[in-house]
Formats: sequence, C-alpha cells, structure tokens
Amino acid sequence: VAERADLLQGTLDLLILKTLALSPLHGWGISKRLREMSSEALAVGQGSLYPALYRLEDRGWIRSDWGTSAEGKRAKFYTLLPAGRKQFAAERERWRLFTTAVEQVLRAT
Amino acid sequence: VSEALLRLVKRLGRRFRALTMPASFDRELDEEMRFHIEAEAADLVRLHGIPPAEGRRRALAAFRGMTQTREAHREARGGAVFDTIARNVRYAGRSVRRRPGFAAAVVLTIALGIGANAATFSVIDRLLFRPPPMLREPSLVHRVYLAYSSRPELGREVSYHEIMPFARYKDITTVTHFFARTAMDGNAVLAVGDGANAREAPVGAVSASFFGFFDAPPALGRYFSAQEDMPPSGTPVAVLSYGLWQTRFAGRSDALGAPLRIGATLYTVVGVTPRGFVGLWPEDPPAAFVPISSYAAGLPFWAPGEAWWTTAGSFASMLVELKPGIPIAAAEAELTDAVDRGWNPRGPVLPPRAIAGSFLSDRGPTHTSLAKVASLIGGMGLIVLLIAGANVANLLLARFLSRRPEIAVRRALGASRSRVLSEALTESVLLAALGGLAGLVLAQAGGSALRSALVSPGALSPIAGDPQTLIFVGLAVVAVGVLTGLLPASEAAQVDPVRYLTAGRHGETRRVSWARGALLLTQTGLSAVLLVGAGLFVRSLANVRQLHLGYEPTRVLTVHPDMRGVRLDSAQNVSLRQRLLVAAQHVPDVERAALNLALPFHDRWLAEFQIPGMDSADRIKLGLFYLDAVSPDYFATLGTRIVRGRGIQAGDVAGAPGAIVVSQSIAKLLWPRQDPIGQCVRIASDKACRYVVGVSEDIKFTQLSDDPGFVYYVSAAQYWSPKAMGLVLLVRGDAAHEREVIRRALQPDMPGDSYLTVTPLDDLIGQQTRSWRLGATMFTVSGLLALTLAAIGLYGVISYTVARRTHEIGVRITLGARAGSVLWLGVRQGLLLAGLGTSIGVLVAVAFARSFAPLMFNESPWDPLVYLTAAGLILTVAAAASIIPAGRAARLDPSVTLRSE
Repeated sequence: VAERADLLQGTLDLLILKTLALSPLHGWGISKRLREMSSEALAVGQGSLYPALYRLEDRGWIRSDWGTSAEGKRAKFYTLLPAGRKQFAAERERWRLFTTAVEQVLRAT
Repeated sequence: VSEALLRLVKRLGRRFRALTMPASFDRELDEEMRFHIEAEAADLVRLHGIPPAEGRRRALAAFRGMTQTREAHREARGGAVFDTIARNVRYAGRSVRRRPGFAAAVVLTIALGIGANAATFSVIDRLLFRPPPMLREPSLVHRVYLAYSSRPELGREVSYHEIMPFARYKDITTVTHFFARTAMDGNAVLAVGDGANAREAPVGAVSASFFGFFDAPPALGRYFSAQEDMPPSGTPVAVLSYGLWQTRFAGRSDALGAPLRIGATLYTVVGVTPRGFVGLWPEDPPAAFVPISSYAAGLPFWAPGEAWWTTAGSFASMLVELKPGIPIAAAEAELTDAVDRGWNPRGPVLPPRAIAGSFLSDRGPTHTSLAKVASLIGGMGLIVLLIAGANVANLLLARFLSRRPEIAVRRALGASRSRVLSEALTESVLLAALGGLAGLVLAQAGGSALRSALVSPGALSPIAGDPQTLIFVGLAVVAVGVLTGLLPASEAAQVDPVRYLTAGRHGETRRVSWARGALLLTQTGLSAVLLVGAGLFVRSLANVRQLHLGYEPTRVLTVHPDMRGVRLDSAQNVSLRQRLLVAAQHVPDVERAALNLALPFHDRWLAEFQIPGMDSADRIKLGLFYLDAVSPDYFATLGTRIVRGRGIQAGDVAGAPGAIVVSQSIAKLLWPRQDPIGQCVRIASDKACRYVVGVSEDIKFTQLSDDPGFVYYVSAAQYWSPKAMGLVLLVRGDAAHEREVIRRALQPDMPGDSYLTVTPLDDLIGQQTRSWRLGATMFTVSGLLALTLAAIGLYGVISYTVARRTHEIGVRITLGARAGSVLWLGVRQGLLLAGLGTSIGVLVAVAFARSFAPLMFNESPWDPLVYLTAAGLILTVAAAASIIPAGRAARLDPSVTLRSE
C-alpha cells in the first residue's frame, strides 16, 4: 500500500476547486479523481470531503444540483462558479509562493 | 450586482434552512452518501472483478463511519458560528496558559480597572439612580422638600428640609388636587422586642397610604388601614419585614396576631411585607412598619396629642405621587401655596418654597456633597479603567510583536486573515473576561469599604449578585476586550506571511510604534489628572482639619438620654439631668461637664428672637438665629472663648434676671454701634427681658464654610423645656476610648428602660468632612495606581527600544561613547514621553478644574503647588522607570553585541 500524505489544513479546498475546474462532478467523482490525479497518494476522507463541499457552497464558490449519473442513478453534482474560479487562482498563487519559500529554506545550508 | 444579491439571498435562505430544518439536510446527505458507496462498490467490482457483495463490503469499510460524516457535516452547517467561537476560545486559552506571567499582568490590570468601576458603579447607582424595588411609578413619585431662605433679598442661605409637621402634611393632602396619592413616612431606629431579645433596628413609621405607592402585596396577612392610622395614637398594629418574619418567627403563619414591642409600644403583628420590600430605604431596610400615628404618640417632645396640630416640630417627611401629565412646576406651585396657607406669619421663619424633589435622599433637591464626590469618584473610576485599558493595549501590542513569526507561519499554513483576527480578538476578550471576574472579586472585597463609607452601612447586598452591576461589568469587559485587542488583532491580520518569512524579521511597523507612544501619552496624561485631583483633595482636607471651629471637639463627648417611653414631668426631667451632671463630674477622667441643648451639625433649635424697636418680620429677614441652652462651664467644656462680658454662671437660675450670651456675629449685626452688654432680648413667649451678659466667639454650627455664626445661649436653668437637653463632657484621655466608661458610669441613674447614647463630638463633625476624606483617599490611591501602571508601560517601551538599538549602542560604545551618554539616550526618551503626557494631562486638569471648585475647601482648583507636585512626581517616576533598561544598555559589552548580529 502506498503511503498516503495527510492533507495540510486549507489545501483540501484548493484541491476540490482544482478537480471541479475541469468539469462538474458528484462527491464520489471528486474523491475518485483526487486519488487518480495524485497517483493514489492523496486520499480524502469522506468525513472531511462532504463538510468541505458544504462550506465551499456556502461561500458561493461552488453550486450543487441533483442530476443523473452515468449509471442512471440520482446524484448531487457540484459545479465551479466564477467566484470559485477566482478564489482558485488566488489560492494557487499563494500555494506556489509558500512552497517556493519552504523549498528555499530547505535548500539553504 | 443583482446576481450577487440573488446569491446572498439564496445563501441566507440556506443558512436559515440549515438552522430550522436540519433533517432535510440530513436526508440529502444520506442520499449522497448512499450514492457514494454504491458508486465505489460498482467501481471496485469493475476494477478487481470481485462479487458485488464483497465490493459493497469493501466500499462500506473504506467509507469509515457514515455517522461521523453526518456529524462533521452538521457541524459545518448549523454549528459553524459556535464552532468557530469554541475553537477560538480553546486557542486563546492555550495561548494564555503558555504565558502565565503575561496573562496575569493583563488580568490584574483589567481587574483593577473593572473592580474600581464595579464598586463605584454599584454605589453611584444606589445613591443617585436606582428606585427602590416594587415602587409603582418611580417617575411620578417625589419627596416634598421645603426650601427656607432666610434672606431672600440676598438670594442665598437656602436650606432644604424634608421633615415637616404632621399638620402641614394634612393641609397639603386636603387642599391639593394634582396628586394621585400622598403619604407620610419616617425611618427611625427603635428597639424591637423585649428584654434580652431587644435589638435596635430601623423601623418604618408610615401612614397607611404609604403602601399604595408600591406594587407589593403582603406575603402574609395585610397592611394596616387608614382607620388604624388615626390620630391621636392610632392602633398598635405592625407589619413585619420578610427578614424579621424569618428570623424572629421562623416564617410561621402564627406570627399573625403575635405581640411585638417596638420602641415603647406593644404592637400586634397583622402582616408581613413581600420578600425584597425595603420601602424607600434600600440601605437601611426597616425591620417592621408601624402606623405613623402610633409612632408619633410615643415621641417624647410633645404633650399627648400635640404632635397632630403643632407646627413647631417635625418628625417625618412627605411623599407624593403626581397624577400623570401634571408638570412638576405646577405641582410645586400648588404645594407652595398649600404650605403658605397654614403658615404662621409671626413665626421665626419666612414661609418656604415647596419642591418636589427626588425620593433618593442623596439626590434630593440638590445633590449632597457626598453624591457629588461619589459622581466624581465614578469619573475617576472611568479614568482608571482607561489607563488600565491603555496599559493592556500596550502589553498586547508588545505580545503581538513577539508572536509575529508564529503568526506568519500559521498564515502560510492556510490560516485565513479573518481567522487570525478573530483569534486575536477572542484572546483579548478572554483576558478581559478573566479580568472582569477577578475585578468582581476585588470589588466585593475592597469595594465594601467604599460602600460602607459612602452608603450607610446597613444591609449591603453583595456586588457580585447584583444584576445591574453584572450587566455593567459585562459591558465593560466587552468594551475593554474589543478596544484593547483591536489594534494588535488588525496588525496580526496584516502580517504578510510570504514577505515576512522570505525577507526576515521587521521592526515595529510605524503604526505600532505610533500607537504605543500615544497609549503612553494617554496613560501619563490621565495619571496627571488623577494626581492633580488627589492633591486638591488632600489640600482641602488639610484646610478642613486646620479650620478654627470655635470649639475643640477632640476630647469632647456628647451624652444624649433616650427615654424609651418613660414619661417624666418637667421637674423630674430637670432633676434627672442634674443627677447625670453631678455623676459625670465625679467620673475621674472627666475634666469638665455641662448641660446643653444644641449640637453643631446635629441638633438645631429655633425660637422667636425679638429685640425692642425692631419688628419681628424685619428681625426674621436678618437670618436664622439658633438657640442653645447651657449650664455654667459650658463654654470652658467646649473651648469656646467669651470675648466680652461673662458666660452663663451658677447665679443665672429661675427667678434671677434672664441671662443670655450672643455670638459675635449677632452682636455685630444687631448692635453695630452700641455695647451689646445689657441689651434686652425676648425669646419665644418671654414676657420679661433677658439681658445680654456676654459675647462669645463665632462657632461653625451649620456648615464648615461661610457659617453665618448666629448662635445664642440662654441659661439651662432659665430654659423652659428641659426634656430635650443632654450633656457635653471634656475628658482627659481619648474621647473614643472614654465613651464606654462614661456610659457605664451614668447609666445607673437612668430610670426604667431608658438609656444613654454617648457619641464623640468628633464623630458628628467627621460626617461633615467625609466627602473630603473620601475624595482625598480615593484620588490618592487611584493616582498612585495609575502612576504605577504608567511606569510599567514606560519601562516596557524603553526596554523594547533599547533592545532594538542594541547594535547601534554597541557601535556607539565602541566608538567611545560614555556610559553616561548612553544612559541619557534612554532616559531622555522616557522623559520626553512622560513630559508630553504630563503637559497634556495638566492642560486637561486645568480645563476641568472649575467643576472641582465647589467640592474644594478653601482651596483654589488651580493651586500651582498641586500641579507642580503632580508633574514632578510623574517625571521622577518616569526617569526611574527608564533608567533601568537604559542602564542595562549602558553596561553592554560591545564585543558581544556586535558579534551577535
């Protein structure tokens, strides 16, 4: 079993926004895509995924609608809103700056 | 914009739904989770080719707890707000525990500030604002005051009296129309119970109509009726207070009908007031209420029945409730008119003006000086709170500076700006709340001293259990917490993690150092205001103490007989006092003893004072002349000098020509160009002349400053009413110490249940100086407290500056700077800050000094000595506070400091 990294606080939102940036997805689809995109390194516990989705929707970054899945089952789909797209860009920038800074510290002798 | 608005409305709707219908969210989430597990199971079957049942089992296992998910989801929606608060409080709690020293300093500072305010608030609220519980219409109820002005043409010498004769109350009640109800009430200390069970307690002597002012149905039985309160002596029925019912009758209902002796009268209990009922006297709650007619019948001053028609004596005060919509001015005009109708134009006093004033006695028609000092102390409390707040804000800023690296890291790890802000605010509010709690404890402990000094030391309810005070403390906590935390919190939220972590440490931002300086200026400035106040009160107190009173109160005891229902005729009264006088003269520690009638600041007697050739109406306009009746040796006992002629002597007895001694002021006023000795004076209903035999120095009799000094003395043996007379004694030792010795020596001469009260004359005068003593103590204590806080603040700022400039100082020392000049560097900064703050404070004090003026005693509110002393004290302390960190800098070893960078 591959070792799985714990998610840093605050990064889950960033990752969810990223998965939704490509297309609307239902909850399971988001967790599946996260696992795939990180080559199974990142796993999101459902206990944090669904509350996080609620929070993002509450902030007006994503929207949810009931629809039909590929298998024909009723499912709740999440769509990225323009405000969420903007938030994603900002968060990504912050993340980049932060990792650069940490890298820099770690590389220094 | 409309789209954003629509989103907002949708969002609010969702929030509302989440709060009101959590079940619908739960159902949706359940469906979502079911779908999740099915999809996962199907995925597993497809990928690994396992049977569907096995796939479902694994999917369920992977999901790890639907209940937990449901809980987390619920928390995310409904409890989001509370959750954040709880998390912030936990975080703040950890942060407080990590730095116990810092937290203790902040909590203690806030506790001092809030404690001082809680204590003064509860006192001021009681003195000036809070109506007694259960009063039906507090805004319509007024106490009737009579404002006497003996020389109206001068527009001064107004004195307010709230007690009035019963006859006047009757007049007012019958002829007026603007009042919904009227009542007469008095609160007297009487012995309650018999024999060993007797205790002195306040007793409300009230008319039957008094209870109608309250919405207070009796806890048991009934109140007494108007029929039971009819002159001449009423019906002896009593209403117990709830407290007395509990303690003496254990709350039993057979208390009704029980006998109870109050004063000299045996009463029958007919009812019990509800719990918490105090009449109009929250500080001296009566133990029982009796009809005022039965109370007056037991008073010793009048012949039986006389109390009902005489206008010469007053024993209770009057309460009115205006009909709704009647203006105060109209009511007062009607009252004045009613008093005028029954006025004796030949009496010693001009008819007064009636005033409908506050029923709170310290508010009265004019605030008492005690109430004024109390308000001033309230203002002082706020200043202390401001200083404490400034100090805490400064401490929090310093703390923020030292925590900046941690904040930067947390921001980098994703803590949002608003989260950092709310955490910092939560911490300051938490500290303020702890400070508020500690402040309540302080107020409870230290405040009771203040309360018993200001409010009469009756039954004091605890501060901590008083809802108004608790609300006040709660508001103060929020205000202090938010205001002191605002700047550090907003600074914390503005920490830019990337720049801070990559570019290294920064110094103070300009905003922070500006704020710290401003806070220090505020502190030193306000300290200066308090110290100036302290100085003015201390000087006033010193002036009061040095005042020449015209008598020497320190070693004088006054003795007052209380007959407790024992009735003596005039001859018996005279012989009782003669016996007491002889007995007193035989006590070894008594140097001199004399009989007297009046007492400075305590008992005043007025009688008609007429001289030949002057109309009595003209005489009245000259002012109020106070009567005293004294035995030989009186002047020597009190230390009052006779400046001309002689004092009262043993020969001035009944049958001999009447003798009278007048004060210098009276002599000067009546006989400016003649010799006062030998002049004829008629007192009250005198047929024959009394002749002036001497002139005495003026004494302070009704007030300490500007006393007109109109007092005259007749011979006790030639005075017609001996029953009100007492004794004054000059003792060898300490008056307070001799008090009990004297009481024991004289008590055996008292007949029946009657007893003696012995009081040092100093105590009576002490009441007069109370406001200055209180002002001096409170301002000195708070001024020094403020100075200490300012010194701590200054020390902190100088230390920080020095620490930041270590490198620079190292360079200077290397380049040959002397220790002295380095020292001066730090001290100069401290002195500059303190000097600027003090100047501002002094200016503020000068501007507000005018409002201090009426509370000063022979002291200019602009006394330069006071201002200079305050400023000098602050600058000295400031220099001392900055010399420690500056000295540390001067002792720096440059080789160490330079290498450390």
